[in-house]
Amino acid sequence: MAAVSTKVTDARADSPARNWTRMREHLVGYLYVLPASVLIFCFGLFPVGYAFYMSMRRWRVVDRGYVGITNYARALGDPWGVLQFAAGFLGLLGAYFLWTRLGHSRRPQANLARAASLLLTLGCLVLIPLGWRTMLDAGDERFLSSIPITFYFAFGSIPLQLVIALGLAYVLYQKIVGQEVFRMIFFLPYITPVIATALVFRNIFSPREISVANRFIGALGLEPARWLFENKRLLNLVLGTELEGFLAGPSLALVSIILFGIWTYVGYNTVIFLAGLGSIDRVLYEAAEIDGADRWRQLRFITVPLLSPVTFYLSIIGFIGTFKAFNHIFVMMEPSAQNTVVTTSVNVFNTFNKGNQFGYASAQAVLLLCIILYLTFVQSKVLGERVFYG
Amino acid sequence: MARGEAMELRRTSELAGSRVGQGIMVKVGRAFLYLILLGGAFVALMPFLWMLSASLMTFGETAVRKWIPATPQFGNYLEAWEEARFARYFLNSVVISGVTLLGQLFTSILAGYAFARISFRGRSLIFGIMLSTLMIQGMVTMIPTFLVVSNRIPFLPLPGGSWLNTLQGITVPYMASVFSIFLLRQFFAQIPFEFWDAARIDGAGHNLFLVRIVIPMSRPAIFTVTIFAFISAWNDFLWPLLVTTTERWRPLMVGLWRFSDEAGPRMHLLMAGSVITILPILVLYFLTQKQYTEGITLTGLKG
Repeated sequence: MAAVSTKVTDARADSPARNWTRMREHLVGYLYVLPASVLIFCFGLFPVGYAFYMSMRRWRVVDRGYVGITNYARALGDPWGVLQFAAGFLGLLGAYFLWTRLGHSRRPQANLARAASLLLTLGCLVLIPLGWRTMLDAGDERFLSSIPITFYFAFGSIPLQLVIALGLAYVLYQKIVGQEVFRMIFFLPYITPVIATALVFRNIFSPREISVANRFIGALGLEPARWLFENKRLLNLVLGTELEGFLAGPSLALVSIILFGIWTYVGYNTVIFLAGLGSIDRVLYEAAEIDGADRWRQLRFITVPLLSPVTFYLSIIGFIGTFKAFNHIFVMMEPSAQNTVVTTSVNVFNTFNKGNQFGYASAQAVLLLCIILYLTFVQSKVLGERVFYG
Repeated sequence: MARGEAMELRRTSELAGSRVGQGIMVKVGRAFLYLILLGGAFVALMPFLWMLSASLMTFGETAVRKWIPATPQFGNYLEAWEEARFARYFLNSVVISGVTLLGQLFTSILAGYAFARISFRGRSLIFGIMLSTLMIQGMVTMIPTFLVVSNRIPFLPLPGGSWLNTLQGITVPYMASVFSIFLLRQFFAQIPFEFWDAARIDGAGHNLFLVRIVIPMSRPAIFTVTIFAFISAWNDFLWPLLVTTTERWRPLMVGLWRFSDEAGPRMHLLMAGSVITILPILVLYFLTQKQYTEGITLTGLKG
């Protein structure tokens, strides 16, 4: 509509008066977007560029000059290790693309390519830990160990959160009496300030024998645990093993924070899923029923595929959210478990605010941004291809 | 029509196949669904109930983790209010949230209108750049933004020197929201063009059309943006923590966080303080929850 009406005025725009009207239209447009543009430039766009600039400088409260990639080298350690590590992840992506491109082709070349793809995957799976070791030897241990912690936090929160939310939304959608009341209750944790609810959860997950969490596992016949104060890995605690490194998984303290995070965000996900369910045409279910599909098949072959755009959206914003999460961890952090719960974003904050190393903190933030961009790219490729848009 | 027939068909087939055992199965199934929902509601609500209950206990009762106080100690609220200096922080939070909200409404109504209704060169480019910033926010922008606000970037001088510990330092960075602009643009774009043509014939320009026609017609969208902006400004923690080193403009969230250090083990006071900080949000949410959840789903499904 807008395009049509401007075209008409354009065609008749020969007189100076008409020219002036058109100019004024442009001018009013610029004036209207000016306040928002200035603010978004100063506090949203310019800082990104400036963070890159700062990350290449020695900057402790005041700027002390250009230092090149020193800050990055300090964070990541040996460049050879970084190269191996990055090549490993890029190789994995390449192997995935090779595999999916082949489709169901049965030609001999395709089988050869499949073998190559498998070999590449195996090679990368060896390369990544090798590179990681080399990085750990010379790099900043605090920064590097914050990365697997961030991964645990994201992968521990999001799948569980999505499954619970989908379940709740699916149940709520079954013509439930009081649907709105339930929806409102589930949504409450999402809108209440994290600082206030965190104070409650610090109490629930306190190491005292009479804390809510300990009473709960006590009722299941388990020994009281130290929860937020526990830096031992959950797997080691449960199975009595002595695992170390990435495979050992998150500490009990981090698991407690993950549970708190899930409690906060399940309601939001439920509400979005519920809206997605509402947009599925009921006729499809009726047709399926006539064809003799039972409840489970309807869920599997109608609901889940048609909800996939919503699931995709929620998992993307979930990952971006967990990678930049700050409040949940910052407020729940206890000194005795600190080295197992500090995610990358909290580490950036500590380096900046407590360490006063502005340049180095910027370099870490830029690296975090790169990780988020890589993950979002992978997700939109790998999951995006499986999304079914009606 | 087809739908009605199918429903009819289903009902008759249900009637035909309704043996006693099946009826019971259906009932058990429904009961199970309600059990799941009640369980979920209990988990969602339990921390709030615990907070409320603990805020009314004596110190001794919180120490042994009673579930319910013997006699409610309403005095805890007064004690927490005074000891944590909440009077000042509460007022600060109200002013901060209000000012942020007004600023955000001003910038995003204008920008949303321009993106929806005015055609000017570079419109989609500017809008695209704005949307792209949604991807980036977080830790990367925090440090440079802090330098901007403390007036330490030579080519971006601020009026009046450093903004640390000032109202503008806390509020101005949040006065533009891509999210609000996007939401309002979607809504403004739906207003039929006949209104604009009629206004033009009556001699109205964009200013008059926006104020007289568009804003009154878009009340639901503007209301949604208002609630979003207020709640996120009220709940914000990290930014005010960075830019307030004195009490002057410290908001309630930072005040509560500092109080949690001072109160130490006195859980009853801490919980009373927590109830005070979340109360305005809960009241606002209960009053507006329908619009709020509709806004969430709107942006969630289209974003």
